[in-house]
Amino acid sequence: MRFGRQTGLGACLSLADAAWLCLKDRGEPKLMSATSAIEVHELSKHFGAIEAVSPISFDVPEGEIFGFLGPNGAGKTTTIKMLCTLLAPTSGSARLAGFDIVKQPDDVRRAIGVIFQDPSLDDRLTALENLTLHAVVYGVPRAERKARLEEALGFVELEDRKNDIVRTFSGGMKRRLEIGRGLVHRPRILFLDEPTTGLDPQTRKKTWEVLRALRERYGLTLFLTTHYMDEAENCDRIAIIDHGKIVAEGSPETLKRRVSKDIVQVRTAETDALVAFLQNKYAIEPVFADGGLSFQVEHGDAFIVELVSSATVKLESISVRRPTLDDVFLALTGRQIRDESAHGSRDAMRAMARRR
Amino acid sequence: MRAEVIYYLCRRDIVKFLRDRQNLLASLTRPLLWILAVGFGLRASVASNTHGVDFVSFLIPGVATMSVLFSSMFSAISIVWDREFGFLKELLVSPVPRFSIVLAKMIAASITSLLEVSVVLLAAPLFGAHFHPLGALVALLVLVPFGMAINALGIIVASRMKTFEGFGGIVNFVLQPMFFFSGALYPIENLPRALGIVVRLNPMSYSVDLTRGLLIGVYHFPIALDIGVIVTSALLLGATATWSFSKMQA
Repeated sequence: MRFGRQTGLGACLSLADAAWLCLKDRGEPKLMSATSAIEVHELSKHFGAIEAVSPISFDVPEGEIFGFLGPNGAGKTTTIKMLCTLLAPTSGSARLAGFDIVKQPDDVRRAIGVIFQDPSLDDRLTALENLTLHAVVYGVPRAERKARLEEALGFVELEDRKNDIVRTFSGGMKRRLEIGRGLVHRPRILFLDEPTTGLDPQTRKKTWEVLRALRERYGLTLFLTTHYMDEAENCDRIAIIDHGKIVAEGSPETLKRRVSKDIVQVRTAETDALVAFLQNKYAIEPVFADGGLSFQVEHGDAFIVELVSSATVKLESISVRRPTLDDVFLALTGRQIRDESAHGSRDAMRAMARRR
Repeated sequence: MRAEVIYYLCRRDIVKFLRDRQNLLASLTRPLLWILAVGFGLRASVASNTHGVDFVSFLIPGVATMSVLFSSMFSAISIVWDREFGFLKELLVSPVPRFSIVLAKMIAASITSLLEVSVVLLAAPLFGAHFHPLGALVALLVLVPFGMAINALGIIVASRMKTFEGFGGIVNFVLQPMFFFSGALYPIENLPRALGIVVRLNPMSYSVDLTRGLLIGVYHFPIALDIGVIVTSALLLGATATWSFSKMQA
């Protein structure tokens, strides 16, 4: 499923901007404000010799929807696991709702709700039994329990299925039930690891309606991870993470404002010759993407007319478009966000097709 | 640690046990097969050597203890199950102490296995077995810590297992010798020296002995030793299981 290109926001960060962001991150001392829901300071995780998360730092103010965006294996889930006290960090510290994740894990656990990437319901129990167990485990007072469960079920619109065994639920219903369950103990911070992965478009839309309504109604802080660019656009602020490092951080609006150039994509059989031509004539440093060359220019429409007439290399195809968050990622890392997962096989197929 | 949490976690396991009809039926009929096949199959040949007690009556405490052994041990696989299906994460991010989770598992396993034992004891008179009814009630209580100890052993194995198959293999490797070298099927007097030593080292032997003593009045070890071994193994294995479970990663 590709959504990135079709939807509203297009944003672009040049490499220079990225460098500026990195410098800014290092140069300014982190201010730990009293209203921060999440404060992360130089948090890192090693698995043996592998550095899954390099020391990262960020703050999330209360009531914000904060997105962690990056490809699979970038360190998103590892970071969530550390923040949720499931995994001990190698170094650094983090405070959630004011509690230290290493020194006060029980307080942290009471203050947060977690919705995992994979389902974590007991599918042999009914919806209500799952919620009841959750309420008991989190110490929701008996007198309030019934009202809270009704409220949670109502919120995710599952009242009429509450006595059904969870195994009979669809994927979207299970996800909604998990979100409902995460609310039962009134957490101050809700973690969502890839909340809409594997859901169909309507269910994804519905899930986002639920998440936004949550913030409206309870002032919850939401921390979510995603590898969908368009999903990141629902966030107040995004941190882009790659190879365990935060490579950019800012609101989608800030990123939007950086949009200044168009993206040109060119395909040719003589790639090296075209690279040299672009470097010499226009001082453009193209990057390899999607089986072709990609670069940014102002007034893309005019540029491609000029390029087509002046090019000394035979061009197979050329296209121009407004930038998207995909391009932000590409500009920052030199790769496309789904290079290592779904695109790997497609590239291999293209390579085979070319050989024939 | 709150009693209500333990109660609800236990209830979850028991509700699931009762909901799984096929498994329920199988686990309730299995011990009856043992009584029929082994009890009546061997009665004629070993009748002379069982303390003057009818062999089927002699065998009932052994089969009862065996039921607890198998049932409690296999209950521990629910931990592997919970991890595979993600529910374990829900518990591990909650503010519930790991010890409560393990204790609840142990109690639930013990209770479900007592269901099997009750079927054995209720059906036993139909097979012509004789035992003290009051002793049988006390035996049910005694089998609770034994079931907890065995479930703890299962949790220790399960928390290191990555797959269901692995659990089955290792558990059978542990269960078979525990069962066969426990005196559940035969009297432990006049055994070959080496076998006698193995039986004495097997904690299950003491549970079989105590149950048999309570049911038909035949003891091999002192009662205090029986109780001591059962309680000590429940405590030691329970503590090890909690430690092992805390090391487990969802």
